[in-house]
Amino acid sequence: MEKWYPEVLKRYGFFTVFDLLIEYIKSGRIRLDKRRITAKVTYHDPCNYGRKAERMFGHGYYEEPRWILSQCIENWEDLTPNRKGQFCCGGGGGTLTTGYNDERVFYGRKKMDQIRETGAEMVVVPCHSCHGQLNAIKNAHGMDDLRVVYLWELVAECLVLE
Amino acid sequence: MSETEQTGHRRLDRLDHTRLRNWPFGQDYCLTCAMCSGSCPVAGIDGFDPRKVVRMAGLGLLEELVDARWPWICTMCGKCEAVCPMDIHIPDLIRTIRGKRERDLVPGILHKGLAAALKTGNNLGMPQEDFIYVLEDVASEIAEEPGFEDFKVPIDKTGANLLTTIHNKLVNTHTEDLKHWWKIFHAAKEDWTVSSINWEGTNWGFFTGDDEGMRTMVGRIAEQMERLEVKNLMWPE
Repeated sequence: MEKWYPEVLKRYGFFTVFDLLIEYIKSGRIRLDKRRITAKVTYHDPCNYGRKAERMFGHGYYEEPRWILSQCIENWEDLTPNRKGQFCCGGGGGTLTTGYNDERVFYGRKKMDQIRETGAEMVVVPCHSCHGQLNAIKNAHGMDDLRVVYLWELVAECLVLE
Repeated sequence: MSETEQTGHRRLDRLDHTRLRNWPFGQDYCLTCAMCSGSCPVAGIDGFDPRKVVRMAGLGLLEELVDARWPWICTMCGKCEAVCPMDIHIPDLIRTIRGKRERDLVPGILHKGLAAALKTGNNLGMPQEDFIYVLEDVASEIAEEPGFEDFKVPIDKTGANLLTTIHNKLVNTHTEDLKHWWKIFHAAKEDWTVSSINWEGTNWGFFTGDDEGMRTMVGRIAEQMERLEVKNLMWPE
């Protein structure tokens, strides 16, 4: 958008998923119940929102999702390494649809090892490719019970309705 | 006898530098330190790794790179670039190499999905009426849940505060996953809408190295913002 249609950027407002959720939460437009999720939870940093956003746009979305997560759950454990140094899940760059499935399973081994190490029962992700990949490969890595949840899915589950 | 056969190597001064943009010059500042390869989760598959790709590009071995599977197994995750002491933009190089491949030889359905999107507005080639049907069907399911009794999905609403795009799998195999954002919007009393045409949030030209296709898909989202007179866009997630 910035490259080809810069005038559009000037005329309209733009929100990332994080900006929007943070605004809703901070303004009190939505309220969240931290007691509903009892599973052990961790978070995966997508490459597009992290390293790639940092290089392309000068800002990596590392703290925003973590803040949102902490509004939904009292305690959750980070992966090691995380943020800029994280390992890719293996699902980005269009690889989910290339047909190189054995290579994708192999690619994801480091990510699955990280998740296993935390003992997490749930991994939260704010990216469609990561969500698809982690679900696609968890069986091959013996982690069928791992629940892969979108960040906004988690928020929706914690909504306090009037 | 070709020049390569005669001398056993290629003349660097005769490389066509326009084909890989500035990447052939990367060899001038690539230190061959292998930080990139050490960080790469798929280094070694098919005998490739990021350093090798950079070196091959620098040596003009374009055909070999374009023919290889490896640039499509790489996810362009950027870890190599993050650790490169000389700041070589390796993911950009990978994407450029992908863009050089004959479109019919793009693996899997990446190019087919983009071609369908360019032709019909979405990767599935899903007709508008089917799209509307799916959305309203999911909305009726939400309306059956306590607290959401009056829920409706606002399709093509003019003057809304927020426009959202939709990932094609959410109207294909993962319709349940449409509900999360919609429930949040409802709880937040957001004034939102979704377009019934050119609603596709993915942009597979980003993956296939197709800048022109990518530009078209972006332009259509901008068109919907104008057509529907919305105030804001939620970036595709």
